[in-house]
Amino acid sequence: MTTLGRTRLADVGTYVAFGVICLFFAGPLLWLVSLSIRTSAEIYVSSINLWPNNPTLENYVAALNNPLFPTYLWNGLKLAVGGAFGAIFFAAPAAYALSRFRFRNKQLAMIGLLAVQMISPLVIMVPLYRYMDRIGLTDSHVGAMMLYIAIAAPLFTWMLKGFLDGIPRSLEEAAMIDGCTRFGAFMRVVLPLSLPGLTSAFVLNAILGWSQFIIPFILISKPNLLPIAVGIFNFQGTYSQTSTQTLAAASVISIVPAVVVFLVLQRFIIGALMSGAVKG
Amino acid sequence: MSQDAVARPAARAAVSDTGVRWRLAERPFVWLAPLALLLVVTYVYPAIDVIRYSFTDATLLNPQYAYTADSYRSVATNPDLPGILWVTLLFVVASVILQLVLGLLVAMVLHRGVKRRLPGVAAVRIIILSAWIVPGVAAGIVWQLMFNEASYGFLNAMLRGAGISPVAWLSDPDIALWSAVIANVWRGTAFSMLLLYAGLVVIPSSLYEAASVDGATPLKQFWYITLPQLRPILLINTVLISIFTLNTFDLILPLTGGGPGRATEVLALYTYNAVFRNFDLSSGAVLAVLLLAISVVFTLIYVRLLPREL
Repeated sequence: MTTLGRTRLADVGTYVAFGVICLFFAGPLLWLVSLSIRTSAEIYVSSINLWPNNPTLENYVAALNNPLFPTYLWNGLKLAVGGAFGAIFFAAPAAYALSRFRFRNKQLAMIGLLAVQMISPLVIMVPLYRYMDRIGLTDSHVGAMMLYIAIAAPLFTWMLKGFLDGIPRSLEEAAMIDGCTRFGAFMRVVLPLSLPGLTSAFVLNAILGWSQFIIPFILISKPNLLPIAVGIFNFQGTYSQTSTQTLAAASVISIVPAVVVFLVLQRFIIGALMSGAVKG
Repeated sequence: MSQDAVARPAARAAVSDTGVRWRLAERPFVWLAPLALLLVVTYVYPAIDVIRYSFTDATLLNPQYAYTADSYRSVATNPDLPGILWVTLLFVVASVILQLVLGLLVAMVLHRGVKRRLPGVAAVRIIILSAWIVPGVAAGIVWQLMFNEASYGFLNAMLRGAGISPVAWLSDPDIALWSAVIANVWRGTAFSMLLLYAGLVVIPSSLYEAASVDGATPLKQFWYITLPQLRPILLINTVLISIFTLNTFDLILPLTGGGPGRATEVLALYTYNAVFRNFDLSSGAVLAVLLLAISVVFTLIYVRLLPREL
């Protein structure tokens, strides 16, 4: 066989592989969408037509009409965005110091940040629940958001440090020669220049916050304070037998915001994430 | 560095009138303090306190407790523990192996597609990443619906369509764990793929060209070039996803709730149940110490694998 022929054959093989990959990764999500647009009659039809005979958006209406569902969405957004935003105040100065200063034990500080990320939130929640219960921070968004910030801050710092390493020092040094304090240069020169890195880290951490389950699951018991991740879990408990199609619609609504935001910004986010994970 | 040496004295002269504030701003400690404080309060102190609680007889309901080492004895002699550890080990090892193999295969296919500029590569990449970004609880629900043994379960509908008898994906204790592994691999593969893809891109193509000239088959090229070149990333990847999988909790809860029986109750879920369902803080703390210790060991390995200069 000629080289060209062999390459063509390999191309065909690549596309076959693409097909299998797409089937495995997209299949479950397509099935979820398919269930979410079915009438209750068609849920129990045991044929595997992906597109139902009588597609309907009623299940989405039903999910959104649940008195708690919009509250879950709002709480999820509030905690995710608040946690990622709050993390900036802790991560940005720390990332700056790790990028710009040379000091003893810097290596240790970086490793410490890594180590913290390896600890399961479940481990720290065991004692934290007790403290927070004592000072009335369970069943409160203030308490939950503090932990969202704490969980986001190390990854945020790590990603931002990688980004700051790529910004030349000469710019902030010029500002400091012109009479800016270091903090002034940080605020007026470094932060604006690191906006792409800040945005990537913010968005990724907000998405992770949207998915956060353990913290609110343990800390919050009042239904009107729960975020969406715990909300759909509770939905599953109440709906799974009676109306799978509504559960599917609710799940789709919980997935779509995270996936859409991520896909729009994926190139930036992945670049920022990889610079931390691989290069260190 | 030389620029720094010139600029610093100049900056010093320019702002000498704000003496103390300036000197503070030049100390890395001041910049790191907010983060350090936050992490001490939320991670370091609780982690130490977990160890302290593990030596008590505390419960979640009673504020009084006494110090004792009986908690370790009672956890160690609990007849459930070996089963939980075995399930956790199987879940982690199977997930990690499958994620690495699948992640590498997908990365290689995508890499080939990008090199050949085949249309559609971007779409395939987006589909894999979508599975990764799905919240863990939602992924658990998605796979619960896939494996469901009612008629809306996709996999059994397929099997029935093909004339094969349906499988008890989630209700057979011997199968449920593997179903959980499949769901976990579905969600986790994208992360391995991303790391390995980044590794594939930087392998010099001259290595492959030289091998082709010498007549090495693609299989030999994979074995003698690709795998050795990817070794560091494969190791880092193994450590990271081992920890992620060990801490998995949100996927299993909606999928099986740990059942049937205890067939899918991994260590993280067992710990949660001990503390927040049985209010047994001391046993939960012992289990949390175990989780913590495993994480520390993996972190130390990870640090050894990282390049020296951070």
